[in-house]
Amino acid sequence: MNRMYKRQLRRSAKRASLYIVITGILIIIILPIFFLFSFSFMSDYETYSEWPKPLVPSLKAEFKLDKEVDGYHLFIFNRSENDFMPFGPLSFHDDAGELEKLQEFVKRQANCTLPVSKIREYMHKADSGTPVTFNLRKKLLANYVLFFQVVNGAPKAVLNSLMVALATIVISLSIGGMAGFAFARYFFKGKNLLKLSVLFVRMFPAVSIAIPMVIILGRMGLYDQPLGLSLVYSVGQISMSIWITASVFMSIPVSLEEAAMVFGTSRVGAFWHITLPLALPGLAACAMYSFIGSWNEVISAVVLTQFNPTFPVVVYKALVGSQGQINLITAGSVAQALPAIIFTLIIRKYIIQMWSGVKV
Amino acid sequence: MTSTKSFLSLDKESKKKMVPYLLIAPVIIYYFLFWMFPVINAIVESFKSVDGVWTFDNYLYIFKNPVFYQALFNTGFIVVFSVTIEFVLAFGLALLINTKFKGSSIFLFLAIIPMSLPAVAVGAMWSSGLATRGWLNSLLMTIGLIDDGGKFLFLAGGRMATMWLIIIIDAWTVIPFVMIILLAGLQGIGEDVREAGAVFGGTKFQILRKITMPMLKPTITTAMILRIISAIQIWLIIVLLFGFNRLPVLLEQVVLNYDQLGAAYFERIGLALSVLVALIVSAASVFYLKVSGSFEKEAVQNE
Repeated sequence: MNRMYKRQLRRSAKRASLYIVITGILIIIILPIFFLFSFSFMSDYETYSEWPKPLVPSLKAEFKLDKEVDGYHLFIFNRSENDFMPFGPLSFHDDAGELEKLQEFVKRQANCTLPVSKIREYMHKADSGTPVTFNLRKKLLANYVLFFQVVNGAPKAVLNSLMVALATIVISLSIGGMAGFAFARYFFKGKNLLKLSVLFVRMFPAVSIAIPMVIILGRMGLYDQPLGLSLVYSVGQISMSIWITASVFMSIPVSLEEAAMVFGTSRVGAFWHITLPLALPGLAACAMYSFIGSWNEVISAVVLTQFNPTFPVVVYKALVGSQGQINLITAGSVAQALPAIIFTLIIRKYIIQMWSGVKV
Repeated sequence: MTSTKSFLSLDKESKKKMVPYLLIAPVIIYYFLFWMFPVINAIVESFKSVDGVWTFDNYLYIFKNPVFYQALFNTGFIVVFSVTIEFVLAFGLALLINTKFKGSSIFLFLAIIPMSLPAVAVGAMWSSGLATRGWLNSLLMTIGLIDDGGKFLFLAGGRMATMWLIIIIDAWTVIPFVMIILLAGLQGIGEDVREAGAVFGGTKFQILRKITMPMLKPTITTAMILRIISAIQIWLIIVLLFGFNRLPVLLEQVVLNYDQLGAAYFERIGLALSVLVALIVSAASVFYLKVSGSFEKEAVQNE
């Protein structure tokens, strides 16, 4: 009895330590991503005037307004100090210009809307001698809106990125998909060599391809054009598409096509009516993979664009050139990362399936 | 010769043989136009001066520049340690997930998020975290591990500290990718093989060493080659965190010469340097394949 109890104890201790390790790993993985998101929702005041910085962005800001001999004073609640701190001008009076400036300051620093009329209302209340405190809802997405307003050409860059990604998907999926089908259904010479092409293609740095491509695309009239960039991206994406589509077609039994052909369909018809519909989810996953690759790429885009940068280039330049505050830049980064994260999570099963078919 | 015959005059059997070649022809043409052509172009141009005269000067400039040797050393150091650490940790994670513990699918779901993050987002994440008043110091202060005077100056360390920081960040980003490849390989090995090992009295460690590892070897080689290729080409995260010239690595020097210095002369240097990087990457890959014995296996298969 005692021995059985001991064994059970040891087993649960083992399981407990397993879950402790797993929790630790998860914390290491999730924590940086959490803070990336958290920063993107913080106002300038939270980012720069609270120390240590808050771990989660607040949903509201708390203000205090009081009247003294030299005029009115505005305070904001500082979470790290756990007290109201002076906010804005040293003092202000009932003056339209001053109040408008204050309204703008509150909007910029605290991401809150405080209209002049409201300020006047609170001032009247404070006239009685007791300070007024009030809460304002913080605009959570203010950094995102501001990023697209402040950073030059950000909205157009998103459009460019989408066009590049779309063209890359069309090129790599059509060319790579054909080859992938050949891999899955036929034996031919040079098959292994072509399968390793993904490795060869990657050995030459992308920048080094991009530099001569400036001249080549220039001659084709495609320099600084989304289509030109997608031609470069497709080099890498085609080889990935071959791997993915090959594993997709391999998972569809040939016997289904043969059965259709027995019933009088042609080979092309069998492909069109049987294989393609079955392969559709896999092909969609392949398209998403191409999208992620093209959406995330920076360096070729830096070299190959001038007036039509892609979205990653805009964020990269904002970060390297310190064009904005860190909370703005994190907002831009999250906006860029979100589609890639979502697509990766959707296609995760296909990613594993793809790698199971690949061996050097 | 068959090539003199027109396609239409071929009999049905030959036509059928040509189908796969027709299907892969676009890939070949595409690679020729948009990979081979620029690569040859880059190599040729790297041997020319700005005026178009054949010269070795671009390469001589690089070899005389002490920064090149620094970059070479730094890159080598980062590659050796990051690839090793990433492999060990990713293999551990893959084995852990493959035990299919309760909640392993949710764990996998969360664990692959870092691999989807764009490089720039990773840069923003860590530069907001590692700054002296960043989230990492904030977190440590909030949970009471350090006080205001004990803030870590993460980004102001010496060369070695900086390299280790880069290795850790790179590991955080890349481990999910390596893990996915290894996990795919592990799922390909049937449970029965390992069970057989256990029946014959093997310990868990013996099964891992004598059964799992050898069967996983092709997958491991794939993962390692892909990692070596991209680890040598590390630069963006370094520039995003430290700017240019703080920790010279090979590809950062390529971009610096090509994109930052802004003279036609430096563009050539960048081009020549990128050819050198390509040579180093290929040499390292071949070296790894040779050491790991992948060539011998292929020779046996071909016989």
